[in-house]
Amino acid sequence: MRYAYFPGCKIPHHLPQYGDSVRAVCRALDVELVDIEFNCCGYPVRNESEPASVFSAARNFALAERAGLGIMTPCKCCFGNLKYAASRLHESPELAGEVERLLAREGLALPQRMEVRHLLTVLDRDVGAQTLAERATLPLYGVKVACHYGCHALRPGKVTGFDDPLAPTVFERVVAALGAETVDWALRLECCGHPLRGRDEVISESIMRRKLESAAGAGAHILATACTYCQLQFDVERDRHSFNSPWRAMVPAVLVSQLVGAALGLEEKRLGLTRNRIPWSKSVLSNDVS
Amino acid sequence: MDFLDIGLIFAAAVCAVFLTRRVTRWRTCPDGGSPFRKQGTAKAFLSVIKAIVPEILLLRRAARTGPLRWLAHCLVFYGFMGLLLFHAMASLVTVNLFSGYEPTLNPWQFLRDLLGGLVLIGLALMVARRVRDRRLRVLSRFQDWALLFVVGGIVGSGFLLEASKIISPAMFDSMVAEYGVYGGGPETTALKAAWADRFGVVFPSDRLVTPQRVERGLEINDESCTACHSDTASAFISKPLASALTPLAPAMNRSRADRVFWYAHILFCLVGLAALPYAKFLHPLTTPANLAARAGRRDLGRPGGAAARGLGMDACTRCGECSLHCSVAPSFAVLGNPDILPSEKLASLTAFRDGRLSGLGLERFAEGSRICTECLRCTDICPAGINLQDLWLASKPEAAASVPDPNQAVRAMTVAARSAICCRIEPEGLADRRESFWACVQCTTCTSVCPVVAVSDDPSRDLDLLPQQIMNLLRMGLKDEALGVRMVWSCTTCYKCQEHCPQDIRVADVLYELRNTAAARLRQAEGEEG
Repeated sequence: MRYAYFPGCKIPHHLPQYGDSVRAVCRALDVELVDIEFNCCGYPVRNESEPASVFSAARNFALAERAGLGIMTPCKCCFGNLKYAASRLHESPELAGEVERLLAREGLALPQRMEVRHLLTVLDRDVGAQTLAERATLPLYGVKVACHYGCHALRPGKVTGFDDPLAPTVFERVVAALGAETVDWALRLECCGHPLRGRDEVISESIMRRKLESAAGAGAHILATACTYCQLQFDVERDRHSFNSPWRAMVPAVLVSQLVGAALGLEEKRLGLTRNRIPWSKSVLSNDVS
Repeated sequence: MDFLDIGLIFAAAVCAVFLTRRVTRWRTCPDGGSPFRKQGTAKAFLSVIKAIVPEILLLRRAARTGPLRWLAHCLVFYGFMGLLLFHAMASLVTVNLFSGYEPTLNPWQFLRDLLGGLVLIGLALMVARRVRDRRLRVLSRFQDWALLFVVGGIVGSGFLLEASKIISPAMFDSMVAEYGVYGGGPETTALKAAWADRFGVVFPSDRLVTPQRVERGLEINDESCTACHSDTASAFISKPLASALTPLAPAMNRSRADRVFWYAHILFCLVGLAALPYAKFLHPLTTPANLAARAGRRDLGRPGGAAARGLGMDACTRCGECSLHCSVAPSFAVLGNPDILPSEKLASLTAFRDGRLSGLGLERFAEGSRICTECLRCTDICPAGINLQDLWLASKPEAAASVPDPNQAVRAMTVAARSAICCRIEPEGLADRRESFWACVQCTTCTSVCPVVAVSDDPSRDLDLLPQQIMNLLRMGLKDEALGVRMVWSCTTCYKCQEHCPQDIRVADVLYELRNTAAARLRQAEGEEG
């Protein structure tokens, strides 16, 4: 298993623990990550200009194709936008022509095989539940996990081809393989609200709170995320709440790579668990959850 | 007082005035707190000292951006510093360090050529780098070429001055008059013959050189000259240059080219000194200072104080590395706004802080600030160690406060105003095609699954219109009405509406497109105004 690793823009500064834990877990699971200097996936600029967004994504595919590799990203917004751009390039010859012209200026060719996988798919398909279970030396028995899917990988299902957009199971399969218990919760497939940060804080905040209440109501101990932006929303943005806020204390958000790493017995520091703003309590790690 | 003294005083005064202005301007930067507060002064000071050797003397960060760029900087840095200390400031430095110093003696005569040659090679590498890389060539501004030209001018005129002195009989005469004891007799003629034959002086008379005279001349040379003047051949660049100029020598000597080049050399130096506070010319001072202040850090670190931020802004060498590695550079390729690139945005930030940005310039700066994804890569790569991430994190809210984003701008407009800025080149999108909405049966599925609608007690108050109402509006061709609807801008783009639509209508894609349309119209309107 060899992938061109696409961390996306937010990980290096805003969420380094995701990058650290993904690298640690992939090394432990024999998934080779090749570093290529990619540019932005084009997701943030899609609000302002679709051509800029599609060209950004296409340039990444062109770089990966030149290296003869498929892309693996841990971010669902990166994944979703790369998929969306690929579908737009197939759909619109004019757009593809314009992108081809811009790529040619840098000596790059219009990518043909635009392959991108999300970290969850790599864990599920390439590594597999069986291997995960075998290697989980510290299984997460007794931990109740609410899997938060994230929108941009899931939908539109026809474009992303990530999982069944109405009843996905991949996240639960991965978490269950680690020995944890997954909970069913009403707002499992809803948006985290992060796309509205800086645009409509009130709605962003309300969406986040509703989701936290839903996960807590279903009896989850933690909320598992597999997207940079979702984790930023449920950890970094939520951290702005005062210490006494009920939402702050509700179900801490943990990255899927941190969960896998914890089950594999990797060091807490390598997984960046200490960098999470709203900590996942030690008692859960040591399995004495009642 | 001669030309040199007056020029030096004038250039130094200009330099001091503008340098003071530049440093006092640092106060306009917002204060992010002292970077040393947490660490303790002693520890922080130690980390600064430790950074000096690798960061400043070995140019470690320049090495990270490529071996050729590092080599070029080493050549220019060491070459120029050597010339500055031991040649330009000889009366202050060299004379006091080395007894019996004469500029015409070796190793000084040889070293001058060596150091000058190193600088020229370095400059040639720098020019080649700017010309070869297409993206960098586009980014290069007047100041980038100006600095290369001035430094090249200083060294180039120096070589020409040296060469023109070698061929000059007038120079020979004045040296003989100053140091010699020969009053124009046969000894002087012999000495002339020797210098014409061996050391490159070009006398008007072509019957001067005979073997006997040269032999006698060399004897006199050994007795009287060599103590203070080495063989001109040790000036291994100037001497061949002088030989190459021999065909032009009579004309050059008649017009006293050595004086002309002396003035040229001094003028280039004075221009360099006077321009020192000007933008990129200052980087040989500010970049090392910033590298030391940052103590070798490549991450955000702690936010800097006003002075640290101001120093960082002035430390930019305009090398363009940040823009070559910028994550959102492809957006620049499509949108053409240079302020999307960090090196260009930094120049605009300086203007913004000075209050010199308005109109299109301000709009571009704001757009560039919005599009930046804060990926840290410019900060990581910057060879000058500038804490760009900190500068952006501080400036983004300021830029957003002075220019509304498309969301705020479009919603603040009347429908008439929104129609008025209609793009002539607006592409025919989903929202413009009636087929996009033909199948809509107004079943309200999109609205009932929408997480944004779900958190509102009163959607018509909070969101203006619901998703299916927007679809209906567009079906009636009322696109300009739809552009200002809050639902369009408060959509999280979660795509539930589109996924659940029983009629396969691309609801979320349409909402995305409306935001794009508004942004494109505003961009075009700004372009026309500017």
